[in-house]
Amino acid sequence: MTRYTIFALLVASMTSATAFAQGTGAPAEIKLGTLYASSGRFASISMPVHDGLKLWLEQKNAEGGVFVKAFNKKIPLKLIAYDDQSNNATAATLYNQLITQDKVDILVSDSGSVLTSVAVPIARDHKMLLIDQTGTGANFFTPDNPYIVLMSDPVSSIWPKPLADFITHDGPKLGIKRVAILYSTNDFTGTQANAVRKFIKESNSGVEIVYDEGIPTETSNYTVLLNNIRATNPDAVIELGYAPNDIAFLRNVQDSGIKPKFLFCIYPGLETELLEKNVGGAGLNYVFTYVPSSEIAYQASFGMPLKDYKAAWDKKYVDSKVEFGFNSVAGYTTGLVIESALAAANSLDQLELRKAIFSLSGKLRTLDGTFELDATGAQIGEITPLGQLILDEHEHLKFVTVWPHDVATGKPVYPRP
Amino acid sequence: MRHVLLILVPVVATFAILPSVYSNHLLLFNFMIFIMLAQGVNVIYGFTGYLPFGYVGFFGAGAYGFSLMVIHLQAPPLLALPVGAGAAVVLGLFLTPLFRLSGAYFSIANLAAALAVLQVVSNPNLESITKGPYGISLSGVFNPTLAYGTALAVLAATLGLVIYLRNSRFGMALQAIREDPISAGMAGINVVRERIIAWLLSALIAGLAGGVFAWYVSVFYPETVFSGEFTIFAIVFALFGGNATVVGPILGVVILYGLYNAVGISTPQYFQLIYGALIMGLVLFLPNGLVSLLRRWGLNVP
Repeated sequence: MTRYTIFALLVASMTSATAFAQGTGAPAEIKLGTLYASSGRFASISMPVHDGLKLWLEQKNAEGGVFVKAFNKKIPLKLIAYDDQSNNATAATLYNQLITQDKVDILVSDSGSVLTSVAVPIARDHKMLLIDQTGTGANFFTPDNPYIVLMSDPVSSIWPKPLADFITHDGPKLGIKRVAILYSTNDFTGTQANAVRKFIKESNSGVEIVYDEGIPTETSNYTVLLNNIRATNPDAVIELGYAPNDIAFLRNVQDSGIKPKFLFCIYPGLETELLEKNVGGAGLNYVFTYVPSSEIAYQASFGMPLKDYKAAWDKKYVDSKVEFGFNSVAGYTTGLVIESALAAANSLDQLELRKAIFSLSGKLRTLDGTFELDATGAQIGEITPLGQLILDEHEHLKFVTVWPHDVATGKPVYPRP
Repeated sequence: MRHVLLILVPVVATFAILPSVYSNHLLLFNFMIFIMLAQGVNVIYGFTGYLPFGYVGFFGAGAYGFSLMVIHLQAPPLLALPVGAGAAVVLGLFLTPLFRLSGAYFSIANLAAALAVLQVVSNPNLESITKGPYGISLSGVFNPTLAYGTALAVLAATLGLVIYLRNSRFGMALQAIREDPISAGMAGINVVRERIIAWLLSALIAGLAGGVFAWYVSVFYPETVFSGEFTIFAIVFALFGGNATVVGPILGVVILYGLYNAVGISTPQYFQLIYGALIMGLVLFLPNGLVSLLRRWGLNVP
């Protein structure tokens, strides 16, 4: 009996020693801190991203947590989220709150460049890695700041490459030689305009920019501008603005009777439902735009494929007014990158997390495409192809991808009927 | 001297000590910025009666003056700061014709001027100079600790100035102008000169605050430093505490900005309701600020 007792005690002590070694210092939960904007001008891009991230987090917690290699076990996630109401100053204080008072393990920014901008120096100051969800401002990424990585959306300076490539490669064959660029003067669309200009000029394709005008983001009437554009006789018109700009522009195009042969806008692709509601299907017919990841079934090597994610979204947010789309995929992608990083990092040290995230670059393929970073942490993968919206026989808008050719699903319709 | 010991020293000492016990340094920094701005509004509105709706124009000018010195001339921050503040003072000089207006007309013209400066700064055609709408990044001089220390010095200077105004003939002259410019002129006060000096001092305070803010945050867009919220907050804080006093704007910032953050963090969904109700209550029951309540209780508030 005594021998059995000693043996049992030995086995028990060995087992517990192993368990202790595996779980040494393991936290009871991983604290993930983020902000969202339930109101104000960024609510429409913030809430889908936040809901996407929440969906991933709740799914992981339902499975017992996320696997953390540093502790060799699954650990539940705790979400600490504050509402910045689209206010920059409030966001700054709340980011600080997350870092200094809540002491989060992972810091995730709000959506968009404006609400991310204030987090960049704060995160750097506190040596916290900023998981930048969709803040694509080129200013954020500098070689001397290792505390930022961009999850979804390519950085603004390379985002429009498919558009420029299409115009400079296929454009001349179609007859596109004169291009007009009209853009809203904010970081997001201004940087895109700079990139389009640069790509076209560097291509030496013979395509000429005949109109290039920046206008205030608050612009809501484009009638005079449209007439100015028409006077330059362009073959293609590229309008780069936020959703309200695109809505006003496309309405003015319809009302004026001006029919650009090629018309590109950003938001018909990113927020199709919103644009269709405000402009109508006919106004979006044959408009060129980015094809968002929510329209492309990428072969995901990690996480749910698009179809399953959409089903999970519809189930969870059955009564929600937040639309499924490009941004909802971005929030979920953030979760997937965090999950992969925690499974690869040897500790929760912020630079170790960065190293783990960088190790995923070019290898991680999610429903958002291939995750790829440059040396400064800017996203250069997850490129949105160029597509054209076409009204089908049932009056439904569908995307026809036209560039790059290897993912094209159809031929472009040019000139726009 | 009494006010220096009773107000300036404790306030500055508090902000010097707090970072070692409270780690949300940006929040403490923002408290200092708003005390400076509320005191700046106090100088021009509290003492002379001109309500500057476009006060943020000076703040933004200071921020951009600082940033452009750093970007284009690689100036060290401690040199760029006074030059940035100088940009705000030059803007103030440029706007002196606004004093031909009074009351709401002055306020609205001042607001328009601030918006015009914002449009100029964010004009994409000036990208090579101001970086246009694409924002400023000052990662090369990023040093929050030194920026915090400098803000502390600017705060001390601002409080020192307001204490001087509260206790000097110049401050009395400004208050006389506020009450009745014609009578003040008749009494030998050079109304135009004194008013312009107050205006430029007020611009200087906002310019210094803007410069040090730009240094601390280091990445910002034109809309960030020309945001009307800075003006609104500064005016509301100054009014809440009580104008033409040293303590009033400090009380206003500590209570209202403290509440703003407490409510914003704990119950953001009720934020606007609580804040709005509080300001309505203030306007209805304490139009002269908290200080008037303290005075009603027999306390001598400087």
